[in-house]
Parts: sequence; structure tokens; C-alpha cells
Amino acid sequence: MHLDFGVAWKFLPILLQASLMTIALFVLSQVLGTAAAFFVALARMSPRAWLRRPAMAYIWVVRGTPLLLHLFFVYYAAPAFGITLDAFPAAIIAMSASAAAYNAEIIRAGLQAVHRGQLEAAYAVGMSYGQVVRRIIVPQAVRIIIPPYMGNAISHCKNSSLASVITVPELMLTAQMIYSSTYRAIEILTVTGAIYLVLTSCLSALQMYLEHVTTYEQRGLGEARRRRLRLDTPLPTMPA
Amino acid sequence: MIEVENLVKHFGAVRALDGVSLSVTAGEVVCLIGPSGSGKSTLLRCVNFLEEPTSGVVRVNGRRVGWEGTRRVSARELARTRAEIGMVFQHFYLWPHMIALENVIEGLVTVKGMGVGEAAAKGRALLEKVGLTDKMEVYPEHLSGGQRQRVAIARALAMEPRVMLFDEPTSSLDPELVGEVLRVMEQVASEGMTMVVATHEMGFARKVADRVVFLDQGKILEVGTPEEIFGRPRHERLRRFLDKVLV
Repeated sequence: MHLDFGVAWKFLPILLQASLMTIALFVLSQVLGTAAAFFVALARMSPRAWLRRPAMAYIWVVRGTPLLLHLFFVYYAAPAFGITLDAFPAAIIAMSASAAAYNAEIIRAGLQAVHRGQLEAAYAVGMSYGQVVRRIIVPQAVRIIIPPYMGNAISHCKNSSLASVITVPELMLTAQMIYSSTYRAIEILTVTGAIYLVLTSCLSALQMYLEHVTTYEQRGLGEARRRRLRLDTPLPTMPA
Repeated sequence: MIEVENLVKHFGAVRALDGVSLSVTAGEVVCLIGPSGSGKSTLLRCVNFLEEPTSGVVRVNGRRVGWEGTRRVSARELARTRAEIGMVFQHFYLWPHMIALENVIEGLVTVKGMGVGEAAAKGRALLEKVGLTDKMEVYPEHLSGGQRQRVAIARALAMEPRVMLFDEPTSSLDPELVGEVLRVMEQVASEGMTMVVATHEMGFARKVADRVVFLDQGKILEVGTPEEIFGRPRHERLRRFLDKVLV
């Protein structure tokens, strides 16, 4: 077997260019999917059946069918309903829908892990539902959610390669086009794999960083927080 | 200060409260005693609407809790009422993502809109009062049970409530930590706070309570001064209960 990485080197700029498309697909659908997932999770936890049932059905269908099918469906079936989408927006819609379903369950698990008693303590000092969610639930849930959420994000990043089947010129499709004209599949796929590995390693590093910053009780208070709480100014002596 | 009229609370088929009426005047300390499941906690939780009563009326400071005329009050109105009622829980329920001082001032900042600096000064004075001057910057997980409960008391006091409800505040503490919490509660009582305390600490009830209420199976069986309840119990059930707890 004769390997020629010179070919891969020559096409590296094109592959890097294509990986920008992969990043765009991933980041955009991850952000949109997460925002939607938060509301799907709240609906899924609602005592009101008209909110809870559709949320459950949505999660059931989207998680229970392949992303590949969603991509084809949005891209090829949409024109039948009078909507014609370009490949990129079609991929964003399908991938966001998928991310929303998976992340909704991860977010729900995090929100529900916060003990009911803590919510009661918050209501007892007079907080509203919104204040309880913002001040008590979310800060704690974020920490619980990080590992499963980031694991899912890594999968989602790699799954963006499926968008190649509906002709989004992302990394995988670009690699295929290069090796089918150069017949250097091993070299091109190795370099492409390395690029994916760099992308997912960034996500792993981000996960480690996020876990670090949220293990607050192991670290001192920041300077700004100390100042805000006036911890370093002496307390005026109170009459006994 | 607190009026409870014919309060009934069902959990499915269980009658947790079966027609309870009680009136607590300003500055009074009332202890609720009785076996587990007798309705002590449910009564307290109905007072600030953490549990919605099945029927009956609760008034705090002359205002009906949870209802106005024939309609339920808004969530905002209910929150305002709750802010005037301090509550201390058996399992503390401090917020683990905040240091002790932040736990104490959270209500002041979020609910009352006080500036962080001003709230912090107040919070520090309160933590000093409950004997935790050196624990202000500590996260709850690094505090002992007794310290956590004292933070929780400071958190409730910070809101300057009209009344304080204590739901078995020492029941989940190691025996050697009970004293420090009871001493703080005694101090709060001595400053004139209106308090309703569900407790198994008969010594505290005897010493601090103005009145003691004995609950059994969701009903008030006997009410009296500590001397009456502990010295001359009238009901057989109360006598048997006291025999068991006063070994």
C-alpha cells in the first residue's frame, strides 16, 4: 500500500473551509435546540395535560426516529407542503428538532434533581415561580446537566456529518468529493477524522472547564463577589 | 396574629387535619406536640399555604391567607403574604449554591429588592446574632446540622417576619447539636417574636412556650399552659404520649 499524504496536505485548506460549515451547523442547531429544549422540558414537567402530552409526544417521535430520516423529510418532503428549503436551513431545522428532543430530557432530569424542599424554602421567603426557577433551580440544574449535556453535544457535533446526504457542503461531504476524484480515501478520511477529533476535543475541554467553574464550593469566592458582599469591611459594632 | 378556623386537610383518603381551630396572639410562643403523623407539620404548612387546605380559614395579621372573598389570590399576593411569615424546616433546605451569608440575604435582595451591600450588612449582623460570625463565607455542605439550622433561622429573620413557624427544627440534628439551635430559638422568643413551633423537645416546650397544643390524628385534643399540659394532662392519650417521650 502506498500512502500519499501530500494529497491530503494539498486539500487541507478546503477541508478546513468545510469544517467551518460543520461548526456552523453544529453551533446553530445546538443553540436553537437547547433554547427550545428548555421550554419542552418545562412543558413536559407541567401539571397541565395540554402542555405535557404534546411535549411527551414530541420527544417520543423525534428521539424514536433517525436524524437521517428527519433530514430527508425536511428537505424532500417540505416542497409537497409548498415550502422549498435550501439544504442548509433544512439541515438546521432537522438538527435543531433533534437536539431539542434529546436536550429536553437532559434538562428535565437536571431541573427535577433539585430537591422540592429547596423550592419550598424559596416560596416561604416570598419568591415567585419565576424567581425560584432563576435563582434556585437553574443555578443548581446547570451543574447537574453539564456532563450529559456535553456528551450529547459531542454526539450532535458528529451527527452533523449526516447533513452531507442532503448536499450541505460540510466536512464529510467535502471529504467524499475529494477522495472520489483523487482516489486517496485513506489519507483524506484520516485527516477528516483528525479534524472531527479536534472539534470534539474542544467540546471535551469546554466540559472540563464548565465542570471546574461550577464546583464553586471547592474554590474561594471571587474578588468581585467578596467586594459586593462587603466581606472585607469590618462590621459596625452592634449594641448587645 | 394567627387565626386558624376549622382547618381540614386531606391527602387522598388520609385526613391529616380534621377540623383544627387555633388562635395565636402577638408575641406568643405556641408549641405543637404530638406523635408523628398527628398533623403538626401539615398545620404549619397550611398556615403559609405550602399546602392548600381542603377547607377552613387561615388568617395571619388579620388577612386571610390564599383567598380574598371568594377568589384565590394571585401568586404575587400569596408571595407577599409568605414574605411576612418566616419558616424553618426540619431539613434546613439551605440553598447549596450560595454561601451562608448569601442564603440569609437572598430574600432581601430578590424579594424585597434591597441592594446587595445593604442586605449583606444586615445579613452579617444576623449571622453574628446566631453565633456564626466565622461561618459567613462557608457553603452549607461544610456546615454542621446545627450551624445549618441557625443559618436557616437567620434567613427567616432577615425578612423581618411578623410570625415564625418552626417545623421540627431539631428533629434531624445530632443530639449534641440540638442545644445550640434551641438557644437561638429561645433568644428569638425572648425578643417578642410570635412563634409556632412543632417539636419533640418537651424541655423547650416546657421552658419557652406560653401555650402547648397537643395534636392527635389531625385534631387538637388539648391546649394549655406548659404546667397544665405536662403537670396535669387530662386526656388519656396525652398521658400515654408524655409517658413515652418523657423517659
